[in-house]
Amino acid sequence: MSLLRVENLDVFYGDFQAVRGVSLAVDEGRTVAIIGANGAGKSTLLNAIVGLHPQKRGKVVFAGADVTSNRADAIARAGMTMVPEGRRLFGTLTVEDNLRVGAAAGRKGPWTLGEVYRLFPRIGELRHMPAASLSGGQQQMVAIGRALMTNPRILLCDEISLGLAPKIILDIYRCFEAISATGVSIVVIEQNVGQACAAAQYAYCMLEGKVSLEGPTADLSMEAITAAYFGLDHA
Amino acid sequence: MIWVETIVNGLLLGGLYALVGLGLGFAFGVMRIVNVAQGDFIVAAAFLGVFLLPWTPVHPLLVIIPVAIAAFGIGMLLQWLLINRVLGHDQIPQILLTFGLAIVLRNGMVELFGANTRSINVGDLRFMGFDFLGLKLGVLPVLILAIAVFLFATLHLWLRKSDMGRLIRATADDHRIVQLCGVNFRSIYAVAMGLAMALSAVAGILLAMRGSFTPYSGADRLLIAFEVVVIGGLGSFWGMFLGGMVLGVAQLVALKLDPASGLMYGHIVFILILIMSPSGLAGAFRR
Repeated sequence: MSLLRVENLDVFYGDFQAVRGVSLAVDEGRTVAIIGANGAGKSTLLNAIVGLHPQKRGKVVFAGADVTSNRADAIARAGMTMVPEGRRLFGTLTVEDNLRVGAAAGRKGPWTLGEVYRLFPRIGELRHMPAASLSGGQQQMVAIGRALMTNPRILLCDEISLGLAPKIILDIYRCFEAISATGVSIVVIEQNVGQACAAAQYAYCMLEGKVSLEGPTADLSMEAITAAYFGLDHA
Repeated sequence: MIWVETIVNGLLLGGLYALVGLGLGFAFGVMRIVNVAQGDFIVAAAFLGVFLLPWTPVHPLLVIIPVAIAAFGIGMLLQWLLINRVLGHDQIPQILLTFGLAIVLRNGMVELFGANTRSINVGDLRFMGFDFLGLKLGVLPVLILAIAVFLFATLHLWLRKSDMGRLIRATADDHRIVQLCGVNFRSIYAVAMGLAMALSAVAGILLAMRGSFTPYSGADRLLIAFEVVVIGGLGSFWGMFLGGMVLGVAQLVALKLDPASGLMYGHIVFILILIMSPSGLAGAFRR
């Protein structure tokens, strides 16, 4: 049975419908990519799944329970959290305090301050610095660390490579293998198709709020992805 | 020497003014909520103090403790039952809600207690004084300043060091994102409003011990609180303390020059600071 199942989800901003009838499934311990151009509805979909965006129709089932109308904090305590787009650290808090806030979810598990610092040694050195003073890549590591501190069963990552140098993106994606090895399911949202498909076993491509293509990443040809990504079929 | 004494007394009064502003400033800093009813809650706390005074053991000053605890509970309830329902991008509903609450509170108090002037009687303490380097100072004002400094410092340390303090700071930074860490920001808001109300209640009791109050004093109290917060620079912790001091000194020096001026010169100083440095004193230093 899937750890996370989304059925026929519609998400709205007032009168505007940003996500149209999206269904997807993520199995325990797997990594899934959601790719798509800017404005395809990926972030909105993620925000709706974790409970930050209330205007929705359809069903979100997490660990066997219907969480569609649950609050984001209850969903986080149940074991599903997100690394938000743009990192959104608590800027006036130190790096370590940011991580400790993650521990407020009160979930037991492998992730502690020590483990996060082992995964990202650089932020261990910076732990007494205000989070706002860090570079983009370092902030992204703190944001991932903060989410890990909730000891999630599934981690949703919204555009974590946006605006970062290629080398740093590579470093961060390398850490995903270590995170995945602890049994955490991962969903990555990316505009960067190659990066996302390399990390994931299964991918969904979104176009104008709908899933335009899905399949195991090994089976998806670049031509098919390009067509689904830009909507070349009906161009 | 008489001027030095006036300025020192202004500083003593300023500590109390700073405390009047602390509750309002703290609530705004954490939640971006302007509680227009804060002034009337300050007066209500003083009435509760008068009511509890006969049952207060050891010393009348200790009436602060039960009133602060009650105010904490009322603050939490206020946030849970009312203010949390109108949160959103638009701040007007919060302001209208607390404005309505202020009117209900004020008229409720007139109805219940009448419009007479009252004060909280702390016995001999009110008239006790001592000499310090040739200055004649009152024991009560010094004690009140000590309480204000203690509360500022304690709140500051608690926010820095405690787990709840960390969650409050994180919520103040980004209340949407703390939810992803399993934190219900509405609960954090309730705690913050409880604290803001408890601090305001202490200020209300101390004001009633130093001076007097009527059910209509709320507007004055709110004005002082606003001025302290704005002079200090919105959300700046020790800036508020400085703001209180500026108001206190301005008021007492002006009263010496023009005994009929009341709070007027304090307000004039406030306007001058606002014109010269719209982001407050802390803002002026930050630039």
